[in-house]
Amino acid sequence: MNADSRKGELADLKAQLRQLAGSRQPGVEDIKRELYKKVISYMTIGIDVSSLFSEMVMCSATSDLVLKKMCYLYVGNYARGHPDLALLTINFLQKDCHDDDPMIRGLALRSLCSLRVKNLVEYLIGPLRSGLKDANGYVRTVAAMGVLKLYHIAPSQCTDNEFPAMLRALLLNDPDAQVVANCLCALQEIYTAEVNVSPETAARDREHLLSKPVIYSLLNRIKDFTEWAQCLVLDMVSKYVPSDSDESFDMMNILEDRLQHTNSAVVLAAIKVFLHLTISMADIHQQVYERIKAPLLTLVNSGSAEQTYAVLSHLHLLVLRAPVLFSNDYKHFYCRYSDPTYVKKLKLEMLTAVANETNTYEIVTELSEYAANVDVAIARESIRAVGKIALQQYDVNAIVDRLLQFLEMEKDYVTAETLVLVKDLLRKYPQWSHDCIAVVGSVSSKTVTEPKAKSALVWMLGEYAYDMPDAPYILEGFIENWIEEDSAQVRLELLTAVTKIFFKRPPESIKMLGAALSAGLADAHQDVHDRALLYYRLLQQGVEVAERVVNPAKQAVSVFADTQSSEIKDRIFDEFNSLSVVYQQPSYMFLDKEVRGPIELTEDSGILPLGPTIADDVLPSQLVDATDNDLLLSASDKEESVAAVSNGSHYSGPDLAGFESSSAPPRSTSSPSSTSQVTSTSAAAATSLLDFEDLLGLNTYEVSTPALFSLKLKTKPSLVAQAFQRKWGQLAVALTLVRFVY
Amino acid sequence: MQRFLMGQPLMRKFLGRVADVLTEYLGGLSEDLVKDNFVTIYQLLDEMMDNGFPLTTEPSVLKEMILPANLVSRVLSVVTGSSATLSSTLPSATSSSVPWRASGIKHSKNEIYFDLVEEMDATINKDGFLARCEVYGEVLATSRLSGMPDVSVSFTNPSILNDVSFHPCVRSQSWDSNQKLSFVPPDGSFKLMSYRVKSLKNTPIYVRPQFSSDGGVVTVTVMVGIRANVGKPVDNITLQLMLPPSVASSDLTANHGSVLPNHSTRVTTWSIGRIPKDKAPCLNGKLQLESGLERLREYPTFLVGFKVMGVALSGLRSDRVDINRVEYSAIKGFRAVTRAGNYEIRS
Repeated sequence: MNADSRKGELADLKAQLRQLAGSRQPGVEDIKRELYKKVISYMTIGIDVSSLFSEMVMCSATSDLVLKKMCYLYVGNYARGHPDLALLTINFLQKDCHDDDPMIRGLALRSLCSLRVKNLVEYLIGPLRSGLKDANGYVRTVAAMGVLKLYHIAPSQCTDNEFPAMLRALLLNDPDAQVVANCLCALQEIYTAEVNVSPETAARDREHLLSKPVIYSLLNRIKDFTEWAQCLVLDMVSKYVPSDSDESFDMMNILEDRLQHTNSAVVLAAIKVFLHLTISMADIHQQVYERIKAPLLTLVNSGSAEQTYAVLSHLHLLVLRAPVLFSNDYKHFYCRYSDPTYVKKLKLEMLTAVANETNTYEIVTELSEYAANVDVAIARESIRAVGKIALQQYDVNAIVDRLLQFLEMEKDYVTAETLVLVKDLLRKYPQWSHDCIAVVGSVSSKTVTEPKAKSALVWMLGEYAYDMPDAPYILEGFIENWIEEDSAQVRLELLTAVTKIFFKRPPESIKMLGAALSAGLADAHQDVHDRALLYYRLLQQGVEVAERVVNPAKQAVSVFADTQSSEIKDRIFDEFNSLSVVYQQPSYMFLDKEVRGPIELTEDSGILPLGPTIADDVLPSQLVDATDNDLLLSASDKEESVAAVSNGSHYSGPDLAGFESSSAPPRSTSSPSSTSQVTSTSAAAATSLLDFEDLLGLNTYEVSTPALFSLKLKTKPSLVAQAFQRKWGQLAVALTLVRFVY
Repeated sequence: MQRFLMGQPLMRKFLGRVADVLTEYLGGLSEDLVKDNFVTIYQLLDEMMDNGFPLTTEPSVLKEMILPANLVSRVLSVVTGSSATLSSTLPSATSSSVPWRASGIKHSKNEIYFDLVEEMDATINKDGFLARCEVYGEVLATSRLSGMPDVSVSFTNPSILNDVSFHPCVRSQSWDSNQKLSFVPPDGSFKLMSYRVKSLKNTPIYVRPQFSSDGGVVTVTVMVGIRANVGKPVDNITLQLMLPPSVASSDLTANHGSVLPNHSTRVTTWSIGRIPKDKAPCLNGKLQLESGLERLREYPTFLVGFKVMGVALSGLRSDRVDINRVEYSAIKGFRAVTRAGNYEIRS
């Protein structure tokens, strides 16, 4: 419809409405209704029909309820944008507020409250007050919500007229449960908003709302409420702190049957109350878990995938708090073929969490079947899950069997995940090296293509060079293909592995080490270059010094810690039955705008300071508490990690910079003359390297070129000071990540 | 923010309920239906929520306030010329203590029917073991009873129920003390209760898939048969398998029923129907793998469908339905049906 014809149509409608306004012919209501329908449908599809306002109002003097409703709808939609026109409607709305029919009274009052025009508020007070005292529950229900609407338009007028106090009286005494529910809803919202205006009164009022008489009166009639109102009441009850345990038990007795409600929202709200009531009574709390398990497990597997996910998220939270209690219910977390991937992923996490001595065999058998899943993401996840479970238990034979089973599948991604898994296993159980290495030995290095898997393989070759006779030769193959290796992560790993092998089997690997270091120094990637340089200089200090740093005696990782702190988990638990659980984040993280910015940064913290290449290597499970730090690495190795981390953020460590500046010209210059200068100084330095230089087959020019490269970089700091400060603050986290590269 | 945190399940559930109510009113839910009935929908939404807070969602109460714009009422409005999409009286139920039932309901024929509908979920792993088997059941009721009847239903074996949830009308006290359902029913159709029965040991039918690969060609044999007699015939047996991505083409035939491959979804459906007495249904054929692949590495999962009329496979049975507090005698009916829910066989 083009603009002209629309205008014509509107004018047409206008004329027709005007004609009908005073008419009392029989059948006129039907014609009006058709016209109204047309107007409303235009309004719905976004055509501005506000020009018909006065005609619509004129025609609204009718006894036909449907016509009235359509008119209310129209008025409500345009009143805010046209306050002057809205004034026209006050009269007939006020008249309708005194209609004999309670339905019309209610609807008129609702429309009146929904006008949301500030300077019409004075016309609202009277009808609202009489509405709250109306004999009919429907009108009082509308009036209670009307108070809240008034509050949103004019807070002070709402409180000045004592409306909240009236609502409080109704809350305790009204015979109609829906009125009570709406009072509760309105009061909660008003008090929450009042906190910003007058904190003290609001706090007092809120306290009153959570007082014993109010809570008890609500609990005693909980069955009268609609299911939605029950959710509201239960949510409030969960904030109430009973004075003693007897009171808690009484409340739980009253609410016990809410767990059998057909509405899952009520069930979850009731569960929240139970959990919060018993939080300080350990044994009862455990019983509550047992009690709520059945309804939650039913909800998981019945209903839509969305429901499944939401309920599973809640269960996940509970499972993490008390895995033992769910250890017999693991079958509920088996993936179904038709489950969407996001549900399957969560189920895998649950299976991992509930695994213990009694059920591991079944769970791992089940997980192993997923490894053959058509859905590659799930196949990968399930192998990781097997790995996480394996890290918790001690039956080496069973695990090795599984590993072999995975490798037999001869699928790239399965092999890749398995290698990463073996690496993690070895880090926790070095004593299994013999069995595990036998497994790895069957893998052809040619078939491993994923950087993560390659790094894992290379790490194992370096670490277990004694157990694998052909380790140096496999590594040699990798180093020959240095140029083709796209992943900096793998190249980093190669450097470390070669250096470690050199300590163990020097005759076989010395040539290779030279090749690797020179390739590393020539590498365009900052991290690779820096690590090569570091090793090079360490070796200069002496092989033993280098070994102490690069390959210190390791302690096995005792626990792979969680990614989330227990404090955050507790906060999520406090917000049970909300989106926080589904997002697995406390609400302030996604609600509070001020918090959201920095939070996003911390979320990325694992990746940000490191650069993607290193972080990629690290599975979420591998993130470890800083306290675990000392278990794996000696202090010197940590320093190295710091250096690597710093490089990741294009920041050269101070030591290195100092070394550089002593032998190199100012950073800004990159002229040929400076190159020669560097060459000469390096050559001078090289003489002091004794025979090492020859041993490595290093060319002095090669040493200096990458040095120059790094100097150029420093002229343009890629970070502003503030950003750096932030990243620096996160280094502790980054450190824990880096450790596992070695 | 307060509202936002009020409960994610509540929001989801409420939206679901709105969709249910609209479906019931409009006889479906589609763009066209919404466009055609927007006046009714506006009225419904008006009553279902105010200021973002859920209000009345009980269909029986809503129907008293807003008449469904179905054919009957349209005909009625044409005949009588009066506005039939809305009753002019406010329903009494909004303020009664039995919000789900209006007072003064009258039916010329009094009857109440119960449908036991069960779905069996099972997973049989690739070693042929039953990894998981559960039954999810619902008791659906259709009540056309006059007055304010008080109905009680008892079961012969309520102890098998692992978890139950009830329509708000059911008195949970009565269930807790003597495992009887006691309630004043809403008028019309409603879900009386739902339940879960776990650790069942038997499934009605078996499926035995076999795959053997040789030089890029996989030979498939799938046998289907009755594992345990459940007392009634098993109908509408179907078997679905999704071909793994490594399969280039398939040629599958059966000695009974029809095999329908769908090339776009890669799902092959074998409709067996009822298992014949004289032979065992068997699916045979070959799968051609993508070139370069020697053997099948991802095995498909079979989804089984079936239906058993007249039996609840969980074993749940009702032995008594009483209707009290009314003068008339009513027709009572009880029937059961079990369907396959998520019944999968891995290979």
